[in-house]
Amino acid sequence: MAKSKKAAKKIKKRKQPQTIQPADEAKKTFIADKKPEKTKEPSLIETKALRFDFIGKNKYWVILSTALIIAGIIFFFIRGFNFGIDFLGGNLIEVKFKQDITITELRKEMEEIGYGKAILQSTEKNQFIIRTVPITEEQKDAILEKLDDSIGIEKPLIQDRNVAPGFSKTITRNALIAVAISVVGILIYVWIRFAVRFAVVAIIELLHDVLIIFSFYIVTFREFNTTTIAVVLTILGYSLSDAIVIFDRIREELRVNKRDSFPLIVNYSINKILVRSLSTTATTLFPVIVLLIIGNETLKDFAFGLFIGVLSGTYSSIFVGAPILIAWNNRFPKYKK
Amino acid sequence: MRSRLFNIIVIIIFVIILGVCFYYMYPFQSSIKLGLDLRGGTQIILKPIERGAEQVTSEAIDKAQLIILNRIDRLGISEPLVTRDFNNNIIVQLPGVDDPERAIDIIGKTAQLEFKILQSVDENENPVFGPTLLTGDKLVKAAAGYDSSGRIVVTMSFNDEGAQQFEKITSENVGQRLAIVLDDEMKSAPVIRQAIAGGDAVIEGIPTLEEAKDIALVLQTGALPVNLEMQEAQYIGPTLGQDSLQQSILAGIIGFVLIAIFMLALFRGLGLISIIGLTYYVVIFWGILAALETPVTLPGIAGVVLTIGIAVDANVLIFSRIKEEMIKGKSRLASFTEGFRNALKAIIDSNITTLITAAALYRFGTGPIRGFAVTLAIGVIISMFISLIFIRAILFMIVNSRAVTPGFIGVRIPKSSQGDSQGEIVGKK
Repeated sequence: MAKSKKAAKKIKKRKQPQTIQPADEAKKTFIADKKPEKTKEPSLIETKALRFDFIGKNKYWVILSTALIIAGIIFFFIRGFNFGIDFLGGNLIEVKFKQDITITELRKEMEEIGYGKAILQSTEKNQFIIRTVPITEEQKDAILEKLDDSIGIEKPLIQDRNVAPGFSKTITRNALIAVAISVVGILIYVWIRFAVRFAVVAIIELLHDVLIIFSFYIVTFREFNTTTIAVVLTILGYSLSDAIVIFDRIREELRVNKRDSFPLIVNYSINKILVRSLSTTATTLFPVIVLLIIGNETLKDFAFGLFIGVLSGTYSSIFVGAPILIAWNNRFPKYKK
Repeated sequence: MRSRLFNIIVIIIFVIILGVCFYYMYPFQSSIKLGLDLRGGTQIILKPIERGAEQVTSEAIDKAQLIILNRIDRLGISEPLVTRDFNNNIIVQLPGVDDPERAIDIIGKTAQLEFKILQSVDENENPVFGPTLLTGDKLVKAAAGYDSSGRIVVTMSFNDEGAQQFEKITSENVGQRLAIVLDDEMKSAPVIRQAIAGGDAVIEGIPTLEEAKDIALVLQTGALPVNLEMQEAQYIGPTLGQDSLQQSILAGIIGFVLIAIFMLALFRGLGLISIIGLTYYVVIFWGILAALETPVTLPGIAGVVLTIGIAVDANVLIFSRIKEEMIKGKSRLASFTEGFRNALKAIIDSNITTLITAAALYRFGTGPIRGFAVTLAIGVIISMFISLIFIRAILFMIVNSRAVTPGFIGVRIPKSSQGDSQGEIVGKK
């Protein structure tokens, strides 16, 4: 904090005439950075809009984020989260049948034995997940026996899970405690290393990412389970790194550049960090995308959340964090307006 | 020259670490312990609940864990794991076991054995007992078998003290019915014909021999000091786990190749060095997981796959900074030095915040989340270690060699068109 105050004072004095030329510098680096890649859309990258106008055009980006979150809220009230048995309690069995059977046929079969409300999901050929409300061991055995009689079941089962209702309370509570503790830790750390406004903005970015992930889960009605919690927690870490790399650059530029306004410095810093941000997003997403394509249901669940989260994390550092920092500085100037 | 020696020493140390990791990695097939979700098996989470006047204390749970382990051992299940989580739930992991219900029956049974006099039967046909006269903790042996008339029974022997008490009870209550109550359920209530000396008793009325064996087993291991309530029982078949494992590994390999291509395209020669660093990262990670012997779960594997991407981040940060300095026209040595210095803060700050998150997850998370936190933390630490020390040493070893042209770094510099295959001159100066 002390450092940035000093920097701010220096900016006010504004004595050094020698400063780097943000526009030229950015342009030069940009072209030099990008050329070896033989990018397919040089026009996009060289256009003024992308090169410099992260902040100016931020209205449109805000619309994108807000629209997603509002969609999430609307769908939340329409049908809410698709909670898995981790949260609701209940039974889940995954069964491979000996004969060919479609999901419609299986549903009919389940209706006949009195479990028409069971949730069925096909995972592989002739392999299904059957989810029911909490049932006793005898009831479950009865279901399996009847299905074995009529269709034929491969033993042992693929999986068999049984969760007591209310168990998720402890999981959720633990996750919330974990998040609360890490948020406090992060706030303190970023406060010490940067400034309190950076710490608050970092937390806002995290909140944004969590809301975006939740919105996607609600809108696509994907199952929300303990894996999802792990995903959200991971994204917290990822998004935070991303935010901090940009903060670091802003901190550095503020120290060297005493002439330009804060918005310009933020914009310039984002430009400088862009290649790194996109590269890291790409390298992180490679394995995630592969998992999304080849993985089984469990892995896909995991990869889906990570995919959305990584994108949102990169996006939020640029399009959510930076505008807030600038708005904050306009309201309560600490750096040159 | 001194710094050159230093770099050589660093690289030698890293090669030694590599050797140690290979030692732990061998044999490759079985060096890493797999969690239940990957190898298949049963996991049960049990919540301790106070029984009567007995409180759920930490000691009581410890004792319960020991008793559970003892029961599992007698079932002959290999590599069981009985642990306790942050909420004092007992987590029982049984690799290869495919019948969670039977496991719950045996593990979760309180096995509180009581001998009481049956006084009468109330209007709802519920038995009314006198006070508890003798409990199961005086047992020394219990065995399942058949009695002389072919019925399934569990025979029990008491220790000296128990035998004396039993003799006293039977001698004082001749003609009454002695109820044998297991976990508040009356198993049988034979009429006492005469005083019984020697300390043997029999439980009758058991439907199957298997159940009799289970009862004998839980009686012998003693009663749990608390009641246990099943929270979650999970069985994962071996095929599901294998699928997940293979797919994760495949995703890791394909992801690795894609990252390698990407880094080469973006940073040329430096990209090659980051691939060396990344390979090193994977080997160290594997070695540490093998050495720690903590079971790796599916979220853990996903965590590894994810950290590969994140591990590259430090390299990208450093290399971008080096490029930036080169473009400014600085010398190679100056560019490398500045590049590392400029990237250092960002790397440390971002990694420390991730570590804060991992620590909170580890301390307060449950089961799979914990496994994930461990891999995340290991990944962050190794990647910092590799990019800030190992890659740095390699780069400074080669910085003055002729191979390190601007093209090697992926930079086009005006005037010096060496290594510039396309011959493009970008930037004005």
